[in-house]
Amino acid sequence: MADRVMLTIGTKKGVFVADAAKPRRSFALRGPFGPGVPVYSTLIDTRGTPRLYASSCNPFFGMKVLRSTDMGKSFKETKSAPAFPKEDGRALANIWSLEAGSGKKDLWCGVEPSSLFRSHDGGDSWDLVPGISNHEHARKWQPGNGGLCMHTIIRDGNRVHLGISTGGHYLSEDGGETFRASNQGVGAGFAPDPYPEFGQCVHKIARHPDAPGRLYMQNHGGWAEWTGPGGPRPDIGVLRSDDYGHSWRSIAKGLPSDFGFPILVHPQDADTVYVMPLEPATRSCPGGAPAVWRSENGGESWSRLARGLPKKQSYFTVLRDAMDIDRLKAPALYFGTTTGQLWIGREGGEQWECLFDSLPPIHNVKVAVV
Amino acid sequence: MGPIPTITMHVPGPLRAYCAGAVQLSIAACTVRAALEDLERSQSALYRNVCDETGKVRRHLNVFVNSNNVRDLEGVDTTLRPGDVITILPAVSGG
Repeated sequence: MADRVMLTIGTKKGVFVADAAKPRRSFALRGPFGPGVPVYSTLIDTRGTPRLYASSCNPFFGMKVLRSTDMGKSFKETKSAPAFPKEDGRALANIWSLEAGSGKKDLWCGVEPSSLFRSHDGGDSWDLVPGISNHEHARKWQPGNGGLCMHTIIRDGNRVHLGISTGGHYLSEDGGETFRASNQGVGAGFAPDPYPEFGQCVHKIARHPDAPGRLYMQNHGGWAEWTGPGGPRPDIGVLRSDDYGHSWRSIAKGLPSDFGFPILVHPQDADTVYVMPLEPATRSCPGGAPAVWRSENGGESWSRLARGLPKKQSYFTVLRDAMDIDRLKAPALYFGTTTGQLWIGREGGEQWECLFDSLPPIHNVKVAVV
Repeated sequence: MGPIPTITMHVPGPLRAYCAGAVQLSIAACTVRAALEDLERSQSALYRNVCDETGKVRRHLNVFVNSNNVRDLEGVDTTLRPGDVITILPAVSGG
């Protein structure tokens, strides 16, 4: 019986693991594992005996995948990491996403430069997924500030949604064999054409498993004042789809900024969605006062959740994978900051508390009940 | 053409786990490129830490022949002589 809440915290200096009994009163911290090496993606795989995975992105010696089979007490390298075929000409620069596949040991992995790999043996061997990695658009995608990264993988039967920065949203409806750009209504602020076929800087995509046709997207917003070719693009940053990602519409009205990185859906309510609006210039919360914003009606209106968070002089960034929500009845949100704080938002974000205040800069936070 | 020179490759501490703890390797090779190709065949796990999938030395590593960085010589085409020592070191960078 699942009775503990487990967090994986990917940081600039390795991965940490924290866990607590279900009331979540006190979390015990272990790590860093893979010390000194940046971790951009983690996965708590709860299929069968829990396994924890972390990408270890060594700037000197290349990429590794770390795996723990003892609930995060120790990590070992898998037998190999994703790698492009030698004749491909691309070299792996980072690992941005790890997701569970359909088989017990199936894993999906999004990398930089944006490409997709699959493993059928728990990460010991990897195969390039050509339908997206060798897509006719692939050599035209451009890196965003964080690199050319495939950061979102959402599986729904034969549908696979991918988020690429910059590349946009790509959709497969045949289990990942073929993909097409699916960005109708997704704006771009850094190109003369405000609504290109592809090339958008998608920051994160989320959905609720019980409402697979509904998706939410945090796109690269902050273009309301743009006066160059193509004109201003207000409210392109927070979007919703109701047709499995074929088309998108803005739900940014009411937010203090349509720029941000993470986006989450409540585990029991597909209408409840969370974002963290940031000022586009500083990547920090408006006025130096951090807040998560919640909509309980699918983005029609928004409310500010900040009780317990600093009221001023806080200029951290919360990165695209640094916020998550657990699946307990009254779920808690968690976010990690680029200044090394890990926050918990109890009762769905109503009350915030800092769990750890001096970790390395945090790239990634995942939570599961194990 | 003379005999292929035997050189020593010094393995940095963080990479010794990938070659059974060896501190140095003895390799017969005429150039740095040939030494790396030998490494790919004989120590593939170690090789993957030194070179990326395209065969290039990873961007933040420096390769020295004796006390000279191969960037200041002929790169991976630098010729080796018997007794040369290749040293692979992470670049000191950042803060």
